[in-house]
Amino acid sequence: MIISDNMLGPWVEKYRPQTLDDVVGQEHIVSRLKQYVEEGSMPNLMFTGPAGVGKTTSALALVKGILGEYWRQNFLELNASDARGIETVRTNIKNFCRLKPVGAPFRIIFLDEVDNMTKDAQHALRREMEMYTKTASFILSCNYSSKIIDPIQSRCAIFRFTPIKAEEIENRLKYIAEEEHCQYEDEAITTIVKFAEGDMRKSVNMLQSAASTGSITEDHVFEVVSKAKPQEIKNMVNAALMGDFMKSRDILREVMILQGTSGEDMVNQIYQEVSSRVMAGNMDGEIYMNLIGAIAETDFRIREGANPRIQLEALLAKFL
Amino acid sequence: MLWTDKYRPKRFEDVAGNAKQKKIIQTWVEKWKNNEPQPPLLLIGSAGTGKTTIAHIIADEFSEYIELNASDKRSHDLLMSTIGESANTYSLFGNNRKLIIMDEVDGIHGTNDRGGTKALNKIIKESKQPIVMMANDFYSNKLTTIKKNAQVIKMDKIKSPTINKYLRDVVLKNEGIEVDPEVLKKLAKRSSGDLRSSINTLQALVENGGELTEEALDSTSQKDNTSTIFDTVTRVLKSKNPEHVKRSMFENNEDPTLVMEYIAENIPREYESNKEIKKAYEMISNADLYFGRTRSSQYYGYWKYASDFMGVGVSISKKETYRKYSKVMGPMAFSLMGRTRGKRALREAIATKMEEKMHVSLLVAYTIFPYFEIMFENDEVAWEISDFLELEDDEIKFFRKKKIPKKVITKMENIKAEMREEEKEEWRNSIKEGIFREIPPQDLEKVGDEPIVEEAVVEPDAHNSTIVDIFDDFDDDELDEIAIEYSGAKSKTKLRKEDSKASKKKKDDEEKLDKGQTTLFSF
Repeated sequence: MIISDNMLGPWVEKYRPQTLDDVVGQEHIVSRLKQYVEEGSMPNLMFTGPAGVGKTTSALALVKGILGEYWRQNFLELNASDARGIETVRTNIKNFCRLKPVGAPFRIIFLDEVDNMTKDAQHALRREMEMYTKTASFILSCNYSSKIIDPIQSRCAIFRFTPIKAEEIENRLKYIAEEEHCQYEDEAITTIVKFAEGDMRKSVNMLQSAASTGSITEDHVFEVVSKAKPQEIKNMVNAALMGDFMKSRDILREVMILQGTSGEDMVNQIYQEVSSRVMAGNMDGEIYMNLIGAIAETDFRIREGANPRIQLEALLAKFL
Repeated sequence: MLWTDKYRPKRFEDVAGNAKQKKIIQTWVEKWKNNEPQPPLLLIGSAGTGKTTIAHIIADEFSEYIELNASDKRSHDLLMSTIGESANTYSLFGNNRKLIIMDEVDGIHGTNDRGGTKALNKIIKESKQPIVMMANDFYSNKLTTIKKNAQVIKMDKIKSPTINKYLRDVVLKNEGIEVDPEVLKKLAKRSSGDLRSSINTLQALVENGGELTEEALDSTSQKDNTSTIFDTVTRVLKSKNPEHVKRSMFENNEDPTLVMEYIAENIPREYESNKEIKKAYEMISNADLYFGRTRSSQYYGYWKYASDFMGVGVSISKKETYRKYSKVMGPMAFSLMGRTRGKRALREAIATKMEEKMHVSLLVAYTIFPYFEIMFENDEVAWEISDFLELEDDEIKFFRKKKIPKKVITKMENIKAEMREEEKEEWRNSIKEGIFREIPPQDLEKVGDEPIVEEAVVEPDAHNSTIVDIFDDFDDDELDEIAIEYSGAKSKTKLRKEDSKASKKKKDDEEKLDKGQTTLFSF
């Protein structure tokens, strides 16, 4: 299958490794996955790890390797945290598994973001997994395996993906830049790697952003970093600490409602912001720990199922 | 029987209040009867001012009428089919006009009655039949266009002496009941210009031998016993008396999470000390926590704690009651959501395209948006990404203000076409080289032996060994077609976006796809 849509477009897709051999990092995982390809069979798998470290890429490469030429017909990719609910997910799985594999020994279902499913939905998923063991294998992907119920974990071979090493990201970025005939400064690449924290998707997006402003220089990378990380969170925390609750609350609503930032992301960014203050020597230890206590409790409550916006508004009130 | 129906006037003369308005309406009716078409009548006024009564009196003047009210689902189609038709028909008998009555036209709802206001405006403009409409809120923006094309009659509230007189001389006299005139006066006054509610109150109190006393009147308080969300919010923010606050929470029938949103919204608008805001919001946070626990456990016993946190909890968070008037505001987060609905829908549409083409979830897609914003400043990259994701013009505008210049589009399209040409060349060669030899014949037979379920995979008698030779019989154009068909089909394999209803269509698609393959084999 040579015809490819990937000749132009976002580099994250264009340079997504197509085979297990090309996957960057995660050597021990990749070598095990290759064995599955050789054997022509695989158990149910669970890929866990932070964003942008190759979970989806490895899954796609494995699927292509193991299903061969007709992988598209025998592969279903679903988002488990589909806004339309677990029933939609289950219906899709059911419809897909009812059909016999075509030109391949079995079918594979890739379920992304399983950790965002409720416990009930996970139990339902477990039943699906059992029902179709003969015809289909599952690859589940999540950020935190701790949020997955035990019965599912025990039915999967679990692979823990780790952040990709700086050197490996660096090499990949240089390779892409060369393929694209883009000039680059070594410092620019180093800076990207530093800010990306082992996240390949973020790195490549930063690279393409910098390149699209003209050339991949360190200055352009800094520009990208500051543009991509808007000042709103900083302003919001500032306003709250200065005692202007209404202003702070307005910013919070803007960011959450207009930009669609999730509650979990907000908590994280607030944590980063507060923590950067103490790191810069701008905050008293005692005050800091009070805030951290409040942030931690907010994080917990949101994950427990409270309304993220209300909880975050209350968190900002604690900053007053 | 409800007294409000029993004593509903049948003639204009008997309708209480609004003398001037009645005259105008009577003239309107007379003119129609003399075959002088008039603009639609729009009666605007608060509850119990006689709109419905007048509409029914008008109806009696015409031979036929149809009526709709807000509880009907007035989508565009429905309005057009039920009313649109009769609005345009002339009756065969010249004078037999068909009256159209529409109640609560300001209640046509944005989403439920998609296109309702639009259809209504169209009918008003085109109608050849008399129309009477009623509305409550003079300033509703749903009425702006309607008002322009209609004769607007503003119905005044009924003055309390008029109500008093009506209750005494029409209702009580007929029922043969005598009451304390002073208490009756009070009742008339309390109904604040709503004749219907005053009759209802009177009936509730004195029917079946009840006595109209001041105590009895007090017990009915105003119109009913429920407090509005605004009453409750005011009580929580102003009172420091737990008993009053609890009662107000209890009497409120609104969705408690909505009440919580209202209270939260108004905390910093009422409380001035940050310490109070902090404490009050902590209470809100706890209330929300118990709503969440209710949802996940389905145990509604938690609600009472939530209610206390957001009610009594918030009320005691202030040191003193503020001696000031602050307007109770609706939750701004909701209105922000309403205002930004279009933008958010657009954002989600883009993220959905990314989900499909870039193997990311919506949440991850949103994290890529800031980078796209930067990339889209570059015309060529903007084109590349838009083309890759198949973005529409308005979706492109989400990332950049300016359109992509025509020159750039042409240039990029040429580059892409060249690439496609190269790909096709490779594809042609690969077919000729016989990539299909890679499928061993025995594999195909094995699939063929099994009973084929739902999917036609391969004809069992497929002439496997000759496939490759067969391609030699096709000229390049035909091979191109095959190549294009195949490459176009492949992007349809993803099954993510169907709900169960659409899944049949999906299955069909899939079958088509597989048949497409079969054709490749069985030329």
